[in-house]
Amino acid sequence: MSNITTEKANQLFWLGRYAERVYTTCMEFFKGYDRMIDEEEVSYPDYCRRVSIPNVYVDKDDFLRNYPFDDTNPDSIISNLIRAYDNAVVLRDDIGSDTLSYIQLAIYDMRKAALGVAPLIGLQTVIDDIFAFWGCLDDRVVDYSERSIVKAARRIERIDLYLRFRMPADTIAFEVNRLQNRIVRTGLNYDQDAIPRLRNMLAQDEVPYADAIRLVESMVDV
Amino acid sequence: MDDLFKQTETVNSLLARYGVKFGIYKDGVFKEQLFPFDPIPRIITKEEFEYLEKGLKQRVDALNCFLRDVYGEKRIIKDGVIPEEFVFTSSGFLKECDGIVPPKGIYSHISGIDLVQAKDGTWYVLEDNLRVPSGASYPLIARKFTRMASPATFKHYAVEDNSDYADILRRTMDNVNTGGINVILTPGRYNAAYFEHSYLAERTGAILVTGQDLTVEDNVVYYMDYHGGKQRVGCVYRRISDDYLDPMVFVDDSVIGVPHIMSAYRAGNVALINAPGNGIADDKGIYYFVPKMIQYYLGEEPILHNAPTYLPFYEDDRRYVLENFDKLVIKDVAEAGGYGVVFGSKLDPEHRELLIDLIKREPRRFIAQEVIDFKDLDILDDEQRVFRKADLRAFVLTAEKTIVWRSGLTRFSRNPDSFIVNSSQGGGFKDTWVLSR
Repeated sequence: MSNITTEKANQLFWLGRYAERVYTTCMEFFKGYDRMIDEEEVSYPDYCRRVSIPNVYVDKDDFLRNYPFDDTNPDSIISNLIRAYDNAVVLRDDIGSDTLSYIQLAIYDMRKAALGVAPLIGLQTVIDDIFAFWGCLDDRVVDYSERSIVKAARRIERIDLYLRFRMPADTIAFEVNRLQNRIVRTGLNYDQDAIPRLRNMLAQDEVPYADAIRLVESMVDV
Repeated sequence: MDDLFKQTETVNSLLARYGVKFGIYKDGVFKEQLFPFDPIPRIITKEEFEYLEKGLKQRVDALNCFLRDVYGEKRIIKDGVIPEEFVFTSSGFLKECDGIVPPKGIYSHISGIDLVQAKDGTWYVLEDNLRVPSGASYPLIARKFTRMASPATFKHYAVEDNSDYADILRRTMDNVNTGGINVILTPGRYNAAYFEHSYLAERTGAILVTGQDLTVEDNVVYYMDYHGGKQRVGCVYRRISDDYLDPMVFVDDSVIGVPHIMSAYRAGNVALINAPGNGIADDKGIYYFVPKMIQYYLGEEPILHNAPTYLPFYEDDRRYVLENFDKLVIKDVAEAGGYGVVFGSKLDPEHRELLIDLIKREPRRFIAQEVIDFKDLDILDDEQRVFRKADLRAFVLTAEKTIVWRSGLTRFSRNPDSFIVNSSQGGGFKDTWVLSR
């Protein structure tokens, strides 16, 4: 592991988690939004329950407008993006100005989308920015363990959210494999039994989602 | 150059995207603000730069001699060139630094010298900033984007490359490094100049650290990693003020400093850039004596002029200041960042009397200067060219020898009635072009 402090390891880890949270929740939001165009019954309360955020929304329209864009709501997508920025901005010397700039750009694009007549289309640009961020991170961050911390955190966040969204076990298992390859390169202290245990859980007929989420949440010591 | 002006918005949006911001506290709340960039550069001809370069090197070399002397033998005081009251009553003189000789005897490694040009073309030095001068990163990154925005402009004008700042800075750190890594010590994200700290760390390859990342053992500074490993630090480019640098020596409740770092420094085991105690040399009262320092230490006539300055401390000067109060600018030596600067003519009768009374009671606290008729620079304001007051911060770096960076930060006032160019007071910035032919 490179010579980074505990604080930097923590910031790299949470940068990866928040950036991925923005991406995956955007993608889920797209799907939910699409469903809610037609549906009589609203599904957003279930969405809130799954991602463990309070349902503070008055109705479907309130959710569709404010869940992505309301930066006064700590659980909104933009609030998570700002948290990604808060971690990224103190890592400029590690991840580079170019990589950092894509997170800043995503915030600008998110704010622009909020003002647009077609916010969903606007959010696509945010997704593009997040992908550019990951690409730039891969390309510019020379330090292997630093890069691996961000990417391992990305996988952990994705697994966590996929479990919450009750995604199929094989989809989650695929992410677990990717995590296993990555986490060993981080140099972080982590629970080495967690991945085999997670695999066992995913192999069960009835996946114990809540237990699996707890296991993922406590896997890494940062 | 019109080509470049058309890209103003694009360049500013790129600067925003790259986080070219500064932080301010307003009503106790931290806010990040963009530092508005104006695309019309200040252009300095080759000949003019050669003149400035000579004058700036001379000035900084003399200031380094002064610091070495004032924390050493104090010959300049013994010889009566500078009254001792001006040294020992200055808050910039740190008795804790008395007798310390920094690595290679260099005190001011990075000097930010503020100049203005009068309408007749004469350059005047307004201030010497030898503590933690900031601002080089802004023209550095702006140049990167303006070159992208308008390559034709740079093909047409022979502008000296300014992208070497990080290399010069790294050499400056390496030159005094006592063995170990280079780090840039920041107070943290909520410091006004955090962008600069992080950007210079990225560009120089130094590690950006906060006080809690460093520890001192047996008078050696170490950087602590995730696994508790220690790496020796040979040079700390500290971007925190003297007061907060070491709670064992200065402000004891500082949480942003490094306990015992002064002991390591005193033992010669780490270089601090710039040296603690430099505040004595950029004290506004000491500024008056810089031309005398040049004569005293270098045996040369000063190349650059000070703005005509009066010290109310001296009776003759005090009389002049009081008689000509309305045509002078009065500066409180304890203030910085454009604060504590008052134009005599702009005060209402009540405040005028209050200030005059204060000058009489505390003459050492103030200096007075003639108001220089600045050469205004044009800026773009809604696509119209308008003239505004502007200064120039030149960056002078001292390693094996003293080098003047072939660029600089030109700050301007956006308010047509103001002389105050500081970013904290709403100013903007321009790139500074030094022509190579």
